[in-house]
Amino acid sequence: MADRASDFRGLIVHDLVIAPGASPIAKRIAPGEIVGLAGLDGHGQEPFLKMLAGLDPPLGGSIALDLPAGPRQITGFRKAVSSGIAYLPRDRRASGIFPTQSVLDNFAISTLARDTRLGLISPAARRARYESYREKLSIVAPRPDAPITTLSGGNQQKVLLARALALQPAILLLNDPTRGVDVATRHVLYDVFRGLAGDGMALVILSSEIEEILLLCHRVLVFRENEVAAEIAGEEMNTETVIAAMFGRAA
Amino acid sequence: MNHISRLMSLARSIGFAVVLLIVLLTINLVLNPARFQPGSWGALIGLAAPLVGAAIASTPVILAGRGGIDISVGPLMGFVNAMLIQVLFLKAGIASPLLVVPAALLVGGLVGAANGFLATIVRIQPIVATLGTYLILTGVTLTILPAPIGPAPAWLKALAGPWSMLPLAAIFLGWWQVRRLPYYDQLMAVGSDDRAAYTAGVDVTRVRFIAYVMTGILGGCAGLMLTALIGSADPNIGPTYTLIAIAAVALGGVSLAGGRGGVAGAAIGAIDIFLLQSVLTTFNVSTFVLQIAYGAILVLAVMLTAMQERLAMRGR
Repeated sequence: MADRASDFRGLIVHDLVIAPGASPIAKRIAPGEIVGLAGLDGHGQEPFLKMLAGLDPPLGGSIALDLPAGPRQITGFRKAVSSGIAYLPRDRRASGIFPTQSVLDNFAISTLARDTRLGLISPAARRARYESYREKLSIVAPRPDAPITTLSGGNQQKVLLARALALQPAILLLNDPTRGVDVATRHVLYDVFRGLAGDGMALVILSSEIEEILLLCHRVLVFRENEVAAEIAGEEMNTETVIAAMFGRAA
Repeated sequence: MNHISRLMSLARSIGFAVVLLIVLLTINLVLNPARFQPGSWGALIGLAAPLVGAAIASTPVILAGRGGIDISVGPLMGFVNAMLIQVLFLKAGIASPLLVVPAALLVGGLVGAANGFLATIVRIQPIVATLGTYLILTGVTLTILPAPIGPAPAWLKALAGPWSMLPLAAIFLGWWQVRRLPYYDQLMAVGSDDRAAYTAGVDVTRVRFIAYVMTGILGGCAGLMLTALIGSADPNIGPTYTLIAIAAVALGGVSLAGGRGGVAGAAIGAIDIFLLQSVLTTFNVSTFVLQIAYGAILVLAVMLTAMQERLAMRGR
């Protein structure tokens, strides 16, 4: 898995159509880059992210991983996961955590096969793997076998992030990752995201907060009416330009 | 510390059923010491085994969540019973346990796979799909076996007597292995929240399908225990286990919404019902009153479990 991350040369979004009648989107996301997705709610940034994750089928165009052996098409969610794309869902209560399960089980569900010895799960191996992520993300949990619902929202989110990172993805797609998360935890998450990008992971972050995007991202794609209305990077990336693009005004 | 906390969480998940078990066991020991002597444990366990087996069999699909239920477990037990005695033993003359036991499990597994196909791939609501299987199996059983017939091989009858622990021990050992498989975590995750499981990369359909197959195999096992108990074939007994098995599962703290509880709880719930039956029959209570008692205990148990959960939520 690790070699896959180092081999990967970028995610190619080729003429992707996210809504009927919208003009296609062509982008390339490079390793080590943090790309923000902004826009007013419901202007296409969420379908775009879900299509990158393979969760929704594109209406046109394609998504591929640029590998030395040639591009690898992402045709579905399972293909995306096996190709090294991890997705962190937006609504952690509805489609993230397993409320009846422990922290440890919630962490390990995507990577169960890693802890098996002769087909049976080794609790010690799983615990060790969890511990390394607990430290990295500074998860505050009483015990790994405590129910996940005993954790604060921010810590639940960190467990979900640990679950995604345990896949050792080349690309991490984050759907509003700091929603309902306290400020202190946010800054821990920001540091983690920067660290991951520094290690060569590509991150795509959908955020409803412009400050967050300005703080984290190298460039931002602003969505309007299911199209990329503007791509802003570097010096020009500030609150005014992003908001102007969101509302369809010239900056 | 770790073991204590694990025991605590086990007690919390079974909760009321364990308390009821201790109370009922005490009442039974006081009322009827002769029946609960160590010497008669074999026969006693054999008597309780089909219900315990039916409850355990009903558990995997319920754990898998989203209305997962298999009401055809009872008729499956009856079908396995009829197949083993009428078709295998009496017609074909096959009596070896090496053939009869795998045949029972195979029949169960195939019926489970059919249920799983209908409920997870065709996506008929589980209760409707298994109601169909319920009716089909009841009809087929009555067709191959219009009236009770006997006997059963001697080794099979011994499984309801001195060796009655053997099938139950085998089931628990098997389930203990399942619990250590990655599959078990996926099953509980799917039962807990199937959308989250999908986003976490779990093949939800496959996990649910396997749950139905497991229920079928365990149902075949329960059919074997039923055959051992009655020592003959009777087309009318199997279906009566369906509802009482589901009552036992609910009593044992397994959430019918999925993802909560386990096989141990279901077994304890079944033993509760068996002991209740035993207490009430000591008083010569009619079977109608017995039904009322089951219903009352079930509602009470589910209520208490819900209250306990609400209290636990408020506690933090």
